[in-house]
Amino acid sequence: MSATLADDELLIVRSFDAPAALLFRLWSEPEHFRRWMGPEGFDCPHAEIDFRVGGGWRAVIRSEAEGENWFGGTYREIEPDHRLVFTFAWDTGPAAEVETLVTIVFREEGGRTVQIFHQAPFRSVERRDSHVEGWSSAFDKQQAYAEGFKGETAA
Amino acid sequence: MHPPDALSAAFSALADPTRRAIVARLSEGEATVNEIAAPLPISLPAVSRHLKVLEEAGLITRSRDAQRRPCRLEPRALKDVDDWLDRYRRFWSRGFDRMDAILEELKREETR
Repeated sequence: MSATLADDELLIVRSFDAPAALLFRLWSEPEHFRRWMGPEGFDCPHAEIDFRVGGGWRAVIRSEAEGENWFGGTYREIEPDHRLVFTFAWDTGPAAEVETLVTIVFREEGGRTVQIFHQAPFRSVERRDSHVEGWSSAFDKQQAYAEGFKGETAA
Repeated sequence: MHPPDALSAAFSALADPTRRAIVARLSEGEATVNEIAAPLPISLPAVSRHLKVLEEAGLITRSRDAQRRPCRLEPRALKDVDDWLDRYRRFWSRGFDRMDAILEELKREETR
């Protein structure tokens, strides 16, 4: 099940039939990360993850039509099985200079986990922090909404 | 394509719920500062500060007409934001679709 709860920001909420610890491994372990990473028509042949605050990560997605695109970033916050914050930027291409911040919160209840994913461009610490305050209260609202997911079956 | 700073500024501007409400109001047509402020539960100076942030982010333009100073949306800036959101939403959603099958496998491994 999925829902995009905000039209004007990238906020994607998904519910999974698995404990948060397993979901967290899909983000923290390169061999699992690259199995799901990538849009339609792409695979992810390589990923490296230095999973610690300040550590870097890199991956590449590849398609027949478009070849390879490398991307990566740095981990800013890691609370195992609960919260993950990292930067995300493309190595090359028109979007290469736009650094974005990804924040993922995992809320587990009864063996199911809701993954609340948020991404937005930021350009300075001040702007990012004010942005964080702006949507952290939105997360509380999303949690109340997301609690409603627990009664639904997996897609 | 807008410079990368413009996209960051636009997202930062839209991160505030009051500014999103202002953008929603202006999507219905241009409005003066007073017209924008009327339904909002904050002071006029506070509204002006929000308008300044939106203007600096390129999301709205303000006429120089001293009497009325109507504000209007800058549709190209919003389209850039929309395009960015669409692109990344598709990028991640496809990946998240694949997670269920991998999680099922991990669960089976754990119970072996």
